[in-house]
Amino acid sequence: MTEPVLEVRNLQLSFGALRATDGVSLTLCPGEIHALIGPNGAGKSTLIGLIAGTLKPDAGQVRLAGRDVTAADAAVRARAGLARSFQVSAVAADLTVLQNAVLAVQGARGQSFGFFRPALADAALRGAAEAHIARVGLSDRRTIPAGDLAHGERRRLELAMALALAPRAFVLDEPMAGMGPDGAREMTALLDDLRHEAPILLVEHDMDAVFALADRVSVLVSGRIIASGTVAEIRTDPEVRRAYLGEEMLE
Amino acid sequence: MRREAILNAAIAIALLAVPLAAQAMGEPFVITLATKVAILALAGVGLNIALGLGGMVSLGHAAFFGIGGYAMAVLAAPVQAYEPLMTWPVEVAGTKSMPIIWLAATLAGGLAALAIGALSLRTSGVYFIMITLAFGQMLYYFAISWPAYGGEDGLSIYVRNGFPGLNTLEPLQFFALCYGVLMVALLFSRVLARSRFGLALAGARQNPLRSAALGIRPYSVKLTAFVISGAITGLAGALFADLNRFVSPAMLSWQTSGEIMVFVILGGVARLFGPVAGAALFILLEHWLGGFSEYWKLFLGLALLGIVLFARGGLIGTIAGREVAHD
Repeated sequence: MTEPVLEVRNLQLSFGALRATDGVSLTLCPGEIHALIGPNGAGKSTLIGLIAGTLKPDAGQVRLAGRDVTAADAAVRARAGLARSFQVSAVAADLTVLQNAVLAVQGARGQSFGFFRPALADAALRGAAEAHIARVGLSDRRTIPAGDLAHGERRRLELAMALALAPRAFVLDEPMAGMGPDGAREMTALLDDLRHEAPILLVEHDMDAVFALADRVSVLVSGRIIASGTVAEIRTDPEVRRAYLGEEMLE
Repeated sequence: MRREAILNAAIAIALLAVPLAAQAMGEPFVITLATKVAILALAGVGLNIALGLGGMVSLGHAAFFGIGGYAMAVLAAPVQAYEPLMTWPVEVAGTKSMPIIWLAATLAGGLAALAIGALSLRTSGVYFIMITLAFGQMLYYFAISWPAYGGEDGLSIYVRNGFPGLNTLEPLQFFALCYGVLMVALLFSRVLARSRFGLALAGARQNPLRSAALGIRPYSVKLTAFVISGAITGLAGALFADLNRFVSPAMLSWQTSGEIMVFVILGGVARLFGPVAGAALFILLEHWLGGFSEYWKLFLGLALLGIVLFARGGLIGTIAGREVAHD
């Protein structure tokens, strides 16, 4: 088995008496899509926060490309190649699509402390940003403020910004949320393409997408991973059925 | 965008034309008013970088304004007392030279902003407002109890400081200096907003979590902006003290912080010429309404309420419309 790109070892975090993350371990290997599913309140967003560095664990370790990044903050992990998308679309709404993408490129390169030259006049920054926008099919929308984009377009802009980090691993929090069937299909195709860029840890409620994309599925319930395996294994796992999936979803 | 550019140019020309006309008509008081507008606008340009570009609602900018004023007094007072500024470890003389005073005031404002910002930016929202206010009040009470510079009574600097090649005692020449500094600050502010740093600051303001996820620490970006903001407001403080030839703790009071914020909100938050329009309107209201009624601030309050409720872009926004994303 190849070396995992992202590895989480025995991660724990409590909020008071609530054990939000209770000894979670998982790996993300090159080329794969590893889906993380679980009912509401299972602790998926907390786990993502711990992996991305916005939350600090009480115990455990996060390793990115073989390096221990547990003590590093979110900005350091991002520059080390951890590309994260948010459950609620997180773009700078007043900035245009192109400005958002340029922001992502300069962030990834650690070039945010230039005070004089206009950011958009920098050909290298702008070229890279336009390439990422083209990759997600937003080229003809690049002068639109991100806040005026349709929901699905904003989701794709987020992916373009994640791509700008030259990621080693994607951590995507419900990229299909709030999308219609067409949007979800397009996004599924895009994610299937992105896995060649870097492996994806995918938190998603859309089971069609999970079953279509995932190489492995882990099921998180009450802060614990209760099962982990291929799509076929998870579909037939009796504990998973009991804890989480409605019977009809598995037919 | 085009409309706003034309409006900005019109404001810049008007602010220059009024004192020139006043000079021709022999109205030196109007020149002083215009100078006051330019200086207060400069303080607002400083605050606008924190408030408008960075989303940091600072109710403590009087601290930087006052520190700039006191920096001027510390340097200039020894000269009028025929004493050295300090004798140990080396003897340093005071100075009446504006360029040196400006540099000192800018540095002092920036350093104070670094210290205050480094602590305040660990909080956000209403806590940030309160903690900046608290720092401002700390410095206010410090100045009151600082007898060397007049304590509560303040300190007069009898002769205005000098600038090489100009006669600063001539109102129009001093106005021209202040106007020049304001224009340079506005130009810098515009360049900054479009730079990579400006983009990072906009990102940190609108979505700090996302910024961090892009590898940009919002704290560092905001602190840098706060320092630049404090430095510019500090410079304005030195000019204001020179205009009045007087410093007092009033420059550090929270009312001053509030007034600087009013300039920005009246004119338009995050609009380049917002502080200029706001300061001009404020001074005009103060002198016109102040002539009718000593309760003129009641009307100012109503105007402010109206702008906050019905014209979110302030004066500039109302006239020029929604800000169009550049490029």
